[in-house]
Amino acid sequence: MRRRLRSFGGLLRNVRVLLPFIVLIAIWWGIKSGFGVSDRLLVAPPAVWSSFVTLVSHGILAEYASTSLQLIGIAALVSFAAGVPIGFAVGANRYAARSLEGFLRFFQGISGIAWLPLAILWFGFTHTTTLAIVIYTLIVPIIFNTMVGVRAIPENYVLALRSLGASRLRIVRDVYLPGALPSIVVGTRLGMGYGWRALIASEMLVRQGGLGDLIFGARTFNQIDRIMVGMIVIGCLYIVVDRLLVQPVETMTLARWGVLRR
Amino acid sequence: MKAERIIWRLLPLVPAMIVLATWSVYWAIAQPPPSVMPSVAAVIRTFGELVMGDRLGNDIVASMARLLGGVAFGVVTGMIAGFVAGLNKPIAEFVNPLVVFFNAISGIVWLPLVIGWLGIGSPLAIFLIWNTVFFIVYQNTVLGVQLVPEVLEHGIRTLGANRWETVWSVTLPGALPYILSGIRSGLGFGWRALIAAELVGATTGLGQLIFSGSEYHRADIIICGCLIIGAIATAMDRCLLLPIERRTVQRWGLVAPDRSR
Repeated sequence: MRRRLRSFGGLLRNVRVLLPFIVLIAIWWGIKSGFGVSDRLLVAPPAVWSSFVTLVSHGILAEYASTSLQLIGIAALVSFAAGVPIGFAVGANRYAARSLEGFLRFFQGISGIAWLPLAILWFGFTHTTTLAIVIYTLIVPIIFNTMVGVRAIPENYVLALRSLGASRLRIVRDVYLPGALPSIVVGTRLGMGYGWRALIASEMLVRQGGLGDLIFGARTFNQIDRIMVGMIVIGCLYIVVDRLLVQPVETMTLARWGVLRR
Repeated sequence: MKAERIIWRLLPLVPAMIVLATWSVYWAIAQPPPSVMPSVAAVIRTFGELVMGDRLGNDIVASMARLLGGVAFGVVTGMIAGFVAGLNKPIAEFVNPLVVFFNAISGIVWLPLVIGWLGIGSPLAIFLIWNTVFFIVYQNTVLGVQLVPEVLEHGIRTLGANRWETVWSVTLPGALPYILSGIRSGLGFGWRALIAAELVGATTGLGQLIFSGSEYHRADIIICGCLIIGAIATAMDRCLLLPIERRTVQRWGLVAPDRSR
């Protein structure tokens, strides 16, 4: 009985998530057929579905999507592995922090995509260009937020541990790391938000595969169905990455060490 | 004591100095082709030419007008929708899945589709900025409205305020710190969306300035353009948004929102 109740609850939740989309698709279909919108502007839901089936069955979608996921994955790993230590080094030293804060803030104002023309001159129309852009986009918020996180730790915590005879390593492990972690996670999440968009934009211009290339390439041939499939896939992939990877880590760190969210 | 203070004051200039020094030394040794990597002097000269010429001014005006239009539109619609949803929980819960999805594809992802609707030019850029800003402002407004303690609303209602007065004098000021925080990060995303949109979807603007730099193999123009983009973004954030946000938080802030930027 209880199990049946639980499965009913799950069903109800699925309906609650799906219902708005069903309503939206109905409105979209209504506009499309009610106003007789041309296929060059908007296509009907079934056309998108059949385009999706074609793209999947020919393996095209998998290829484009895996290119994008690979690029964002590599970029995220590199940025995290390099950005967090740099952020710590800068944050732990008040002279370094003072000198780099404005510099980093300035570069945060120059979006990665603004460097794209220069990266194209340097690396040509290659994946290297896209990677350089996405790593730049991701690493700046990570360094910046790690630094801010370290700076926000009350000096007294460090002093207290030191007076009890803790080593430098111990202080990093027990004070700096847990203290800065919520801020690092926030920075990573922000960076992923910027980075995913930079990736799509860069792929549109570089045209060497990836979902950005898929939707921008479809534009040239007026394949609206393909563009819409691409958009839906981009949205779903981002939600999956955000919900399955970033958010659990955020919830975990906030629950475990969440001192910063006031 | 005094020397230390001067050093402290000058510290923010150090990274720029290091970059300039490395760049000059690299350029003197490697002598790269100027189309790919110009010298510092060439960039300064180009900067002077850009400032003297008409093009830069026109591009900045075009970009700023689009940004202003898109952000204003996004903030107004985002706040209205945010208040409607924030005050009516069933509505917020119903549209939430849609908001999560459309937030994930907000901005530049719409470009290929919307080029077909609006063509190349300002309306396209404004649409993309609106699309980016709307969801951030909406989400922050809903959060801010829902977090205003109910006690305060009850308080003013027992004093005889109607629903409209309650919203105007309790909910709005209470949610304002969150809304402003949303506007601030919305502007950050919007500025990025604008530059990206102008790279392919416009004939004027700062994005187009740097894009034409790559077409003519003029790295000096690109570097100048990027520095100008950074300077404008920093100036907007520091001189406009941060002071407003600070004052609001001081005046009405019940809780300071999580400020991570």
